[in-house]
Amino acid sequence: MNEPILRVSRGLTAMRLAARGGARYAANAPRLFAAAGAQRQQLRDDLALRTAQDVADTLGTMKGVLMKIGQLASYVDDGIAPPARRILGRLQDSVPPMSAELAASVIEAELGAAPERVFKEWDPLPIAAASIGQVHRAITADGLAVAVKVQYPGIAETIAADLGNVSLIRSLLKMAVPSQDVTSLIEELRERIGEELDYLREAENQRLFAAHFDGHPTARVPKIVDELSTARVMTSELAAGARFAEMLAWPQEEKDLAAETIYRFTFRSLYELNAFNGDPHPGNYLFEPGGQVTFLDFGLVKHFKAGELDPLIHMIETLVLRYDPEAFRRAMEEADFLEPGAPIPTEDVVAHMSLFYESIRHRGPRTMTSEYSSAVARRYVDFKNPLAAYAKIPRPYVIVQRINLGLFAILGQMNATADWRGLSEEIWPWVKAPPSTPMGEAERPWLAQLALRRDR
Amino acid sequence: MTAEVFPDAGLFQRGAAAFAASVPVEPADDGFFGPASVTWRVHADLSAPVAGLRSLLLQALHPLAMAGVDQHSHWRDDPAERFASTAAYVLTTTYGERAAARAAAERVRRVHERVRGTDTVTGQPYAAADPALLIWVHAGFVDSGLAAAALYGTALTPAEQDQYVAEMTAAAELAGVPPGSFAEGGAPASVAELDAYFEAVRPSLTTSTSTDDIATYLLGMPPGVEPELSEAWEILATAAVISLPGWARDMYGFGTARAAGTGPAPGSVPPGRDEVRQVLGLLDALYLGEPGVLEARQRLTLRMREAERELPR
Repeated sequence: MNEPILRVSRGLTAMRLAARGGARYAANAPRLFAAAGAQRQQLRDDLALRTAQDVADTLGTMKGVLMKIGQLASYVDDGIAPPARRILGRLQDSVPPMSAELAASVIEAELGAAPERVFKEWDPLPIAAASIGQVHRAITADGLAVAVKVQYPGIAETIAADLGNVSLIRSLLKMAVPSQDVTSLIEELRERIGEELDYLREAENQRLFAAHFDGHPTARVPKIVDELSTARVMTSELAAGARFAEMLAWPQEEKDLAAETIYRFTFRSLYELNAFNGDPHPGNYLFEPGGQVTFLDFGLVKHFKAGELDPLIHMIETLVLRYDPEAFRRAMEEADFLEPGAPIPTEDVVAHMSLFYESIRHRGPRTMTSEYSSAVARRYVDFKNPLAAYAKIPRPYVIVQRINLGLFAILGQMNATADWRGLSEEIWPWVKAPPSTPMGEAERPWLAQLALRRDR
Repeated sequence: MTAEVFPDAGLFQRGAAAFAASVPVEPADDGFFGPASVTWRVHADLSAPVAGLRSLLLQALHPLAMAGVDQHSHWRDDPAERFASTAAYVLTTTYGERAAARAAAERVRRVHERVRGTDTVTGQPYAAADPALLIWVHAGFVDSGLAAAALYGTALTPAEQDQYVAEMTAAAELAGVPPGSFAEGGAPASVAELDAYFEAVRPSLTTSTSTDDIATYLLGMPPGVEPELSEAWEILATAAVISLPGWARDMYGFGTARAAGTGPAPGSVPPGRDEVRQVLGLLDALYLGEPGVLEARQRLTLRMREAERELPR
C-alpha cells in the first residue's frame, strides 16, 4: 500500500538508522581517492567537479546538508540496515573531487597566486576528501611538508541557503533523530556547519589543541601554518601514519596503547581545555606503533563555558565515586537531564543510567567491545523505557553524548583493554591520581611543562 | 481509491532499476539523441519529477487520451507499475541504444493497436495509435520538460529550448507519429510550433470525473505517509500545478473552491524555486541510494563530457 511514498519514508528511516549508525560515509570518504588503478584514476579525473556550478549541482539542494546531518547525528557502529549504509554512503560517493584547475582557482583566490607559486611543490591530485573540501599535499617555500585543505568554492553559500529551509530540515530531523529537541538541534546544526565552513575557526581550534598537546609523549596535533591559512584554505603540517583499518590488523597490545592515547587525549581535552573535538570517527586518526596517534580535523569542536561541566562532574561523583543514588538523581534533575518529580523509582533511574558509566564504575582492566558500544547506543535511543518520557539531554551536552558514543564505538572496534577508571582518575581534575600506566608515567614531563606554562 | 492504489514494489525502486538498465554499460551506439543532445540533459535534470507530474496532469485534459488510459490501462490497480513503465520507456528511448529504443517503441505500439473504443464523456471514438493523440501526449511531455526546467531546473537558452523540441521529434516518430514537418501533420519541431499546437488543440480539451480522479491521485498525499513528509509532498505537487499553463490550471480549477482538497489552497503562497529544488534534491538523494543509479549517472556524465571535448560548444 502507498508504496512510492512509503519507499521514500523507508529511505528516510534508513537514513535515520544510518545517522545513528555512524559516520561511515565520512570514514569512507577517502575511498574514492585512495582507490588504486589507472582506470579508477581516470574515472575520478573525468568526473571531477570543474566549476562552482558543478559544486552547487552536486552539493546544493540539500545534499550537503543531508551529509552533515548524517555526520552530526552519528557515531554508532552496529545495527545499521544495509539500505541505510547505502543512502549516506552513496551520497558521499556521489561527490567527486575538484578538478586540479578548480582547486587551483580556490588557492589563487584565497592565497593570491597559483598553487605552484605559493608553494615550492604542489601535488595537484588530492590525497583525501575532507567534508566540503579536499586535501592536497604540498611543500612550502621553507621546505615544510604540509597538508592543504581546500574548500569547494561556493559551498558555504550553498549550504547556508539550504539551512535556511528550516521547515524541511525540521521534517528531516524529526524523522532522523526523534529523540531530540529538534529546535535546539537545528540551532546546533547551523552553528556547527557555520563553524566548519570557516576554516579560520577550525585553525584556531587546532592551534589550541596543538599547543596543549605540544610535548605529549603519544598524542600529536599537526601545527597550523598561519600565513597559508584563510577562511577557505587551511594549511597544516603533513602527518604520517597508518589508517584506522590498517591499525586494526596490528597486535592487540599496540591497539590497546593507541586506545589509551585516544582516551587520554579525549578526556584531557575535556577537562583541561574545556573542549571536545566533536568528530571521533576513524578517518580522523593516524597511527604509529607505541601508541602514537595523530589527531586530524578540528572542524567540530565544542567549547564549554566555565561551570558547564560541573553537572556532569557531579553525576560522576554521585554515581561512580560514592554511589549515592538519591544524590545522583538530584544531580540529574539539577542538570535538567531528568524532570523533577518524575514517577520513576530512583533504582530504575540508576539502573538505566549505569550502563553509560559501566566502563568507569570499577577499577581494573576492562575490554571495550562493539557489543557494549551498541548496547550503550541502543539505550541512548530507547524510547520505550519509561524513563524516556521524563529524560532529555540538555543542549550543551548533546554533543558530549554523541562523542561518547563515537568514542565507545571506536574503542569497541579496537577491542581495547585498559583500566579506564584508572585513566579517568588520573585525568579527573578533582582526583588527579598519580600515573596508572607507563604512558601515564611518560606524561609526567609534559604535565610539568603544562603546569609551568600555566603558572607563567 | 487512493487507499488501494500503491502495490508492493515501489515506484522509487522500479524507476531506479529502469534508469540503471536504460543506460548501457558498453553502448553500441549513442541512441536517437546522444551525449551532446539537449534531450539527455533535460531528462536527467533535477526538475524531472515535476516535469513528470505536470506532464500527466496536462495529458489527462484530452478526453480521448484520458478515455484510452481509463478504459484500457490498469493504472488504478497498479499506478506505480504504470508510471514505472512509462518512465522506463522514456529513459530507454532517451539513453538506450537505437535497437533498445526501437524495441521499446515497438512494444508500446503493439499495445496501442489494441487501445481503441468510444469515449463516454464526449461520445467520440478513439484509437491510441491515432497520430493526433500521439502528438498530444508527446507535446504535453515536451512542454512539461521545458516548463519544469525553466522554473525549477537548469534553465535552457531559447536556442536550446528549440533544439530540445526539434530533437524530441525523433521520440514522436518512434512512438508512431508520421515523419514530416509540423505543417504536414508531424510533431512540433520548435517552441513556436509547440505553442501553436496548444493554441489549436485547446478547444478539444475538457475535464471530467476521470481527470479529477487523476489529479486527486497525483496531487493528494496518500495515507500512511510519515506526517513529516506531508509538507515536502505538498511542495512538489504545488510546483507541478504552478508549472502548468494558466489555462490548464483554470480548467482544473486549481486554487479555487472547485478543486478543494486538490492542488494548492486558494490564496496560499506558492513555494519558491529554492524550496522546490530542496525537496527535489532530497528526493534525488534517496534516488541515488538505489542500486545502480550513481553508476548509471556516472556513465552518462563521462559520455557527455567526452562529447563536450570532441565538440567544443
